[in-house]
Amino acid sequence: MLEIHDLHARLTDGREILRGIDLSVNAGEVHAIMGPNGSGKSTLAAVLAGRDGYEVNQGTVTYLGRDLLAMPADERAREGLFLAFQYPVEIPGVNNMYFLRTAINAQRRHRGEPELDAGQFLRIVRAKLKLLDIGEDLLQRAVNVGFSGGEKKRNEVFQMAMLEPRLAILDETDSGLDIDALKMVARGVNQQRAPDRAIVMITHYQRLLEYVEPDRVHVLQGGRIVQSGDKSLAMELERRGYGPVEDAA
Amino acid sequence: MSAVVDFPVKPEARPYLEAFGRDRRRGDPAWLRGYRRRSLARFAELGFPSRRSEAWRYIDLRQLEQRPMLPTARPTPVVTSALATQLAEIGLAEPSYRLVLVDGKFAPELSSLDQLPSTVRLGSIAAAIAERPDLVRSALEAQSPDRPFASLNAAFFAGGFVLDIAPGIALERPVEILHLAAGDAAGALYTRSLVVAGQDSRATVVESFAGSGDYWRNDVIELRLGAGSELTRVTFVAEGVDALHFGETLARLDEASRLSGFVLLAGGRTVRHDVTVRSEGAGSRCDLNGVFLLSGRQEANILTTVDHRAPGGETREVFKGVATGHAHGAFQGRITVRPGAQKVDAHQLSRNLVLSPRAAIDTKPELEIYADDVKCSHGAAIGDLDEAALFYLRARGISNNEARRMLIEAFAQEAVDLIEQAPLREHLRSRLTRRLATLEE
Amino acid sequence: MTASTETLDRVRSLSQEGYKYGFVTDIEAETAPPGLNEEIVRFISAKKEEPEWLLEWRLAAFRAWREMTQPDWAKLNLAPIDYQAATYYSAPKQNAGPKSLDEVDPELLRTYEKLGIPLREREALAGVAVDAVFDSISVATTFKEELSKLGIIFCSMGEAVREHPDLVRKYLGTVVPQNDNFFAALNSAVFSDGSFAYIPTGVRCPMELSTYFRINAAKTGQFERTLLIADKGSYVSYLEGCTAPQRDENQLHAAVVELIAHEDAQIKYSTVQNWYPGDAEGRGGIYNFVTKRGACRGARSKISWTQVETGSAITWKYPSCVLEGDHSVGEFYSVAITNNRQQADTGTKMIHIGKGTRSTILSKGISAGRGQNTYRGLVRVQPRAQNARNHTQCDSLLIGDRCGAHTVPYIEVRNPSARVEHEATTSKISEDQLFYCQQRGLNAEDAVSLIVNGFCKEVLKELPMEFAVEAQKLLAVSLEGSVG
Repeated sequence: MLEIHDLHARLTDGREILRGIDLSVNAGEVHAIMGPNGSGKSTLAAVLAGRDGYEVNQGTVTYLGRDLLAMPADERAREGLFLAFQYPVEIPGVNNMYFLRTAINAQRRHRGEPELDAGQFLRIVRAKLKLLDIGEDLLQRAVNVGFSGGEKKRNEVFQMAMLEPRLAILDETDSGLDIDALKMVARGVNQQRAPDRAIVMITHYQRLLEYVEPDRVHVLQGGRIVQSGDKSLAMELERRGYGPVEDAA
Repeated sequence: MSAVVDFPVKPEARPYLEAFGRDRRRGDPAWLRGYRRRSLARFAELGFPSRRSEAWRYIDLRQLEQRPMLPTARPTPVVTSALATQLAEIGLAEPSYRLVLVDGKFAPELSSLDQLPSTVRLGSIAAAIAERPDLVRSALEAQSPDRPFASLNAAFFAGGFVLDIAPGIALERPVEILHLAAGDAAGALYTRSLVVAGQDSRATVVESFAGSGDYWRNDVIELRLGAGSELTRVTFVAEGVDALHFGETLARLDEASRLSGFVLLAGGRTVRHDVTVRSEGAGSRCDLNGVFLLSGRQEANILTTVDHRAPGGETREVFKGVATGHAHGAFQGRITVRPGAQKVDAHQLSRNLVLSPRAAIDTKPELEIYADDVKCSHGAAIGDLDEAALFYLRARGISNNEARRMLIEAFAQEAVDLIEQAPLREHLRSRLTRRLATLEE
Repeated sequence: MTASTETLDRVRSLSQEGYKYGFVTDIEAETAPPGLNEEIVRFISAKKEEPEWLLEWRLAAFRAWREMTQPDWAKLNLAPIDYQAATYYSAPKQNAGPKSLDEVDPELLRTYEKLGIPLREREALAGVAVDAVFDSISVATTFKEELSKLGIIFCSMGEAVREHPDLVRKYLGTVVPQNDNFFAALNSAVFSDGSFAYIPTGVRCPMELSTYFRINAAKTGQFERTLLIADKGSYVSYLEGCTAPQRDENQLHAAVVELIAHEDAQIKYSTVQNWYPGDAEGRGGIYNFVTKRGACRGARSKISWTQVETGSAITWKYPSCVLEGDHSVGEFYSVAITNNRQQADTGTKMIHIGKGTRSTILSKGISAGRGQNTYRGLVRVQPRAQNARNHTQCDSLLIGDRCGAHTVPYIEVRNPSARVEHEATTSKISEDQLFYCQQRGLNAEDAVSLIVNGFCKEVLKELPMEFAVEAQKLLAVSLEGSVG
C-alpha cells in the first residue's frame, strides 16, 4: 500500500530532517513508528500528508501504486490517506458536523459515490459516536474551538472513523491523554483494523501499544529508521530507552 | 518680509510672517536661514489645520487662531523663586544628568552635567548648530513638510537640546530635561531637540514641562534609535493652567532597537502630544503608553502613529484617559503595516473614563494593514467607574469621594505601571496621585 | 428568491410608461441632454409629473449639491467623475443592453451558473432585453392584495408620490436631508425612482418585503430612493439586492435609503450587494456610493441593518442609526469582501441621543487579491443619552499579501454613564487551518470558503434564512482565484 524509498526531506530553511527513510506498509497491517523527540517522526507524517514547508530532495513514496508526492494534500486525503494531527487546528465559526459532512462528501464525489444527505449522514454519525462513546455535543461546536486536549484527540479519532481511510497516520495521538482517553483512542484504532486498511501510529511512548498491538515496530532516529522488529522491540525500548538502540545502529 | 511673500498665504499665518520679517537671527548660518525661510513658507501655505483634517479633529484651535502667539525676544531669565518651585515640583529625586531650559534657553546654573561621561554629549541646540551643523541639519530635514506647527517651529525655534550617546554606552542615570517657562510675557516658546542613541546604547530620557503664565509651547523632537539600542523616554506635561502645549515627536527605529515611551498629561489648558514612530529596521519594538487626566476646561489630545516599514516589528500601546468637569480628551492612534512588513505584532488599547456630565472623550484607534502575515488588534472603551466596585468600597466604609479617587487612580496607574524602571515609576505615580487629589474638586 | 417576478414587473411597467409618455413627447425628449443644471432637474420632475413641492425640494437639493465638492478619501483610489458628462434622465428603453446572452461577458455567465440561477433570470440580471413571456403573471398582484388588506403600502416611489403624497411629504428627507452629503444631495436632485413602504400601527408585515417582489420594479437606475416607515408597534423585514452579479451601464450609483421607526416598531433591513466589480483589473466596475440611514424616532424602536457586500469596484456606504427614542436599539451586521482590485469603505454610524439607547456593531471584512477593505464607523453618545451602550467588534481577514485591511473607528462620548467598547482584530487565514481542511479532502478553494464562512457566521445568521444560504454560496464565488 505504501512504499517509501530513501526519503530525504528538509525544511525550507535548509535543515535536513529526514535522511533516507525506507518503509513498506501493506494493507491490513498496523505499524508503530517510535523515536525520541526531534527524530523526524512528525516530519514524516507531515511529508506524507503533503504539508507545505518541507522539501523532498531525494527518494520516492508510492501509495496505492501512485506517486504520492506528486499529489496535492487534498487529493491525498480523497485517495484515502488520513492524518490524525498532533495539534488539531481550531477553525472558528465552522460547525464540526458541517465540516465533517463537507469532507466526507468531497471524498465521496471523488470516488464517484453519491453524496450523503443530512439524514444519512446523521445516522452514520450516531452509530460511530456510540461505538466510540463520544458525546454528541462535541459535534455541535466549531471545529476544535474551545476543545480540551483530550477532546481534540477524540475528535480526530472520530473523524478517522467517519472518513474510513485506506491509510491512517496517527501523529502522537496518544500524547497528553489520560488513561481513559487513551483507551478510547485505542478502541477507535482497533475498530479501524481491517484487511484493506493500514495504520501507522507515530508515538513517543510504548503506552499506546499496550492497547493496540502493532504488526511492526520501527525506531526512527536522526531522520532514519535505525531498527525494525515486531512488538517485542517496543517492550525492549520501554525497558532500555532509546539510547541503546542508537548504539546498536 | 517681502522676500518671503511670493506664495499663497493663509490669513492666520500673516502675523507670523511679519514677526519673522522683524526677527534678525544674526547668529544663524546660511543653511539654517534658508531652512527657516522654506519652513515659514510652508507654514504660510498650510495655515492652521482645519478641524476637518483627521489629525486635528478633536482639538479647538480657535483661540490660537484669533490671537497669534508670536515668539518673544526674552532676556535671559534670572532664576526666580517661582522657577525654583517649578523645578522642585517636577524634578526627579534620584540622581540624574540634568539639563534645564528656561523659556527654551539653556540655563547652566540650574543644570548638572558635570558627571556626564565623555561618550555622551548633551547640550543646547544652539551649541550643536555651531559645533555639529550636519547632525542638526539632518534632524531638521527628517521632518515631514506636512505638519504646519512643526514648520512654524522650524522657522522660529531658538532653544532645545541635543543628546548624543555613543555606540555601546549604557547610561545608568536618567537624563533629565526640564523645560520651564518663566512667565514674563505672553508669547510662544519654540524648542527643537534631538536624541541620538548610538548602536547598542541604552538610556533613559525624562522630559518635564512646567511653567507659569500665558504661553504657547511648541516643541519638536526627533529620537534616533541605532541598531540594537534601547531608549526609554518619559514625558511629563505639567504646564501652567493657561498654557498651550504642542509637542511633536518623530522617532526612527533601526533594526532590533527598542523605544519605550510614556507620557503623563496633567497640566496645561490645551495640550497636544503627537508621536510618530517609524519602524525602519527589522525586529524593532515600540511601547507607547500614557495617561491624560483632565478637569476644568482642559483639552488634551494624544496622537500616536506607528509606521511599520520593516518586518518583525512589535508594538504595544496602552493609553488611559480620564476627563471630568468640562474637559475634553481624545486619543487617536494609528498603526500602519506596510506591504512586506510581515510578522508584525501590534496591539493597541485605549481605555477612558468620563466622569462628569459635561466632560467628553473621543477615541479613534486605527489599523491600516497592507501585509497579511500579521497579528494586529486594538481595543477601545469609554465608560464610567464601575458601580459595583464603587459600592464595594463604600460598603467597606470608604467615602464616596475617596472610593472614586481610589478607582480612578487604579485605572490610571495600570499605564504608569508599565514603566520598567522602579524609581521612575514611583516618580510618575506620585505625580499622578498629586494630580488626582485636585481632579474632582 | 426569484428574479423572474422582477423581470415580469419590469416589463409590465415598461409598457405602462411607454403608453403614458408615448403620445405626448417626441423621441428626443425621452432622454435628457447630458449635464446637470436646474433645467434638467425641472425636466426630470416634469417627466415624472411631480407636484410643485417635490420640484422645489429637488431644486433645493441641487443648489446645495452645486456648492459641495466630492469627498476625497485617503484610502479610495477613484478616477474623477465628470458629473456634467452623465445623463440624468432616460426613460427605460426596451432595447438597451445586449441582445442575447451570447453578447454577455462569459465570466459573468459562469458565475450565474455557479450560483445556480435559472436561465431566464440570468438574462434579466445581465440586462438582456427580455420577451414578455411569463408563467405567473398573478404573483405580484396576489402580494399586493394581501398586503393592502393589512393596510401596508408597498409601491414605487413614483406611485407613492402620486397616491400617498402626504406620507411622502411628511417623511422624505427627514432622515437624510437633501444637503447631507455630496452623493445624497445629488440623489435628492435627480432621483429616478425606488421603493416606498408604510407599515401601519400594530401591523406585523407577514412577508419579507423585497425588491424582487416590488410592485413596480421599473429599472430604477442609478439614483434609487427608498423610504420605509414603520408606524407604532409594527414590524417589517425588507430585503434588498440580489446575490447574482448585476450589471448596469451606469457606472455611478448613488442611492439613498431612509428608514423611520416609530414607537415600539422594528425594521430589519437586509442587503446583498453584488454589483459588477469590473474585470480582474477593476475595469468597468460600478461605483456604489450609498447613503443609508434609519431614525429610531420612537421609544423602544429598533433598526437592524445587515449587509453582505461583495460587488462593485468601489463601495462607499455607512448604514446608520439615529437613536432618538429612549431605549431604542440600533444594529449593524456586515460582511464585506474585496477581491481583485475592489475597494470598499464601509461601516456605520450609531448616534445615541435618547436615554438607554443600545447599539451593536459586528463587522467582518475580508480582503483578497489586491482588494482594499476599510471599516469606518462612528459611535457617538450625546449628552442626553443616559446609560447608552455600544459594543463593536471588527474583524479583518487577509488572504494574500497584496491586499489591505483597515479599521477606523471613531468613538465620541459626551455622557459619563455611557459604556462603549470596541474591539478589532486583523489576521490571515492560517496555513494550519487550510492544511487541516485539505487533509480532510477539501480543495483549497473550498477550504477557504469554509473558513471564510465560519469567520462570517455571526453576521450571516442575521440574514433571513433563504438569503443566508445564497450568501454563503456568494462568499465562495467572490473569493474565487484568491488562493493560488
